[in-house]
Amino acid sequence: MIKVANLTKIYKTHIKDQNPFKDVFMRKYKDVIALDKISFEIGENESVGFIGPNGAGKTTTLKIISGILYPTSGFVSVNGFTPFDKNPRFLKQIAFVMGQRNQLIWDLPATDTFELQKEIYEIPEHEYKKNVGELTEILDCKNLTSKPVKTLSLGERMKMELIAGLLHRPKIVFFDEPTIGLDIFSQETIRTFIREFQEEFKSTVILTSHYLEDVKKLSKRLIIINKGRIIYDGTLKKIIEQYSLTKRVTITLEKPANDTELRAIDIPIRYMFPKVVYKIRKSVLPEKIKAITQNLPFSDLTVEDETIEDIIKTFFRKNNE
Amino acid sequence: MIKFLQKNLRLFFLYSRFTLKTTLQARVGIVFFLAGKLFRFLFLLVFILLLFGKTKIISGYSLNQAVIFYLTFNVVDSLTQILFREVYRFRPLVVSGSFDMVLLKPMHPFTKILFGGIDYMDILFVIPYLFLVVLFFFKTIAFPYSIFNILSSLLIYILFLFNSLILASAFHIVVLALGIITTEVDHTIMIYRDLSGLGRFPMEIYKEPIRSLFTFIIPVGVMMSFPSKALFGLLSGQFMWYTFGISLSSFVFSLVFWNYALKRYQSWGG
Repeated sequence: MIKVANLTKIYKTHIKDQNPFKDVFMRKYKDVIALDKISFEIGENESVGFIGPNGAGKTTTLKIISGILYPTSGFVSVNGFTPFDKNPRFLKQIAFVMGQRNQLIWDLPATDTFELQKEIYEIPEHEYKKNVGELTEILDCKNLTSKPVKTLSLGERMKMELIAGLLHRPKIVFFDEPTIGLDIFSQETIRTFIREFQEEFKSTVILTSHYLEDVKKLSKRLIIINKGRIIYDGTLKKIIEQYSLTKRVTITLEKPANDTELRAIDIPIRYMFPKVVYKIRKSVLPEKIKAITQNLPFSDLTVEDETIEDIIKTFFRKNNE
Repeated sequence: MIKFLQKNLRLFFLYSRFTLKTTLQARVGIVFFLAGKLFRFLFLLVFILLLFGKTKIISGYSLNQAVIFYLTFNVVDSLTQILFREVYRFRPLVVSGSFDMVLLKPMHPFTKILFGGIDYMDILFVIPYLFLVVLFFFKTIAFPYSIFNILSSLLIYILFLFNSLILASAFHIVVLALGIITTEVDHTIMIYRDLSGLGRFPMEIYKEPIRSLFTFIIPVGVMMSFPSKALFGLLSGQFMWYTFGISLSSFVFSLVFWNYALKRYQSWGG
């Protein structure tokens, strides 16, 4: 469905000179490699999360696959189309929902934007009504569509943005930071909606987000990009198995313990009575738990997996070594 | 192709409807906008009348003919403002990266960024301008003048107005393309407005080489003065062909430049 081979994107940026005269009349440029010969394939109905630090090349990849940007070199094919040809038949099959950009008409109600989308994507009247009805119901926002967009909150606007973007039932949906800036409740609503949308309409979902919770909940496959190169392409499960080498053990002590008693188990990562937190390697976890139960009187003990953020940090650290 | 044009035409009307809906929300703004336009028009009209109070002829043209030059400038200027108002709002779209959303749509981007913000307020002025052109035209002709001659003159005038709009489209497409490459729109559009403003008066008031510059290199004269000259029957057949040739080549150049700019679009703003 999506095939990318040796994709390269080079931006030309100007080097600032201390001398304003030179900066204007003898401007120098340098090439910045945003993508460096990346290759991957994405199949139908897959959900793929792109992650990486700022400037890694995630959004640039998505923008080339969707046809917004032209690549410097390389091959891209999406459903048999070359994206930057901007064939209307291709553009009708995709949607790009961006958390930081919007397409809603600011002064008018969202219904006007929906009507515009209906004409742009040539959606038949009955289908349009059905889609608006279904999407507003899933997002529980029927009462918001008639209010001017400028009066809506960020979370409410995002719901309208999702409806406007997905009205034409795209086969491929790109989500670029869909939950950015939203409160935890709105984030959860958006995640649930994306998951349900994909399950119901069998769309291919490609996502970038700095919130790893989004990736964890929405993507089975993970592509990690750093400095324009793919450094990991595989399942989320595999990366957790490979890089989640420790567990987080939190103990609620019954009475204060001294440094020697605490260090007898392991070096704690945090201690503030009554809580003490350890990060213990999985291989020695049973014996450490045994030592805790024998030496530290406690009222509660929890063992948790590392957070996805910690795992990715470990991954990057190991890759940089 | 016809289906594509029909769709983009439907979208054009829809965008226009939404622009009007948005405009009508700011009622005070409408009053000031219209008052400003009216004052500007009246001020220049008075200026021309005062000028002709001292002299009866400007570069070989009578007062009535000079008024037609001025009215034609206003017709072309207003029509371009009506049609291409959205160009003035292009910069924020580019610098914020919201232009991405336009490029992703299965429609021609010009439907939104060139024609997508019809300014209905200017339509209010075009109708009286055209009425005045016809009125002053009748004052310039020496009767007896056959109906056929009158109608053919007016038809040629309309044809040249249409030609001016093609040239104006080319100018605005170049402004959009420069906006993509440099993220600069406001100053470029002001340069266009200043240059086109030189066409308020017949090109003959300018000395060479400026006159040739604005006729052959930067075709402001072709855009603003030629419709009036055609109306007076002062354009030779050779110049007519030149006019259509330069409009067509400018338009083709603007499209080539636009495609060149699109390839350099960097999608700023994250």
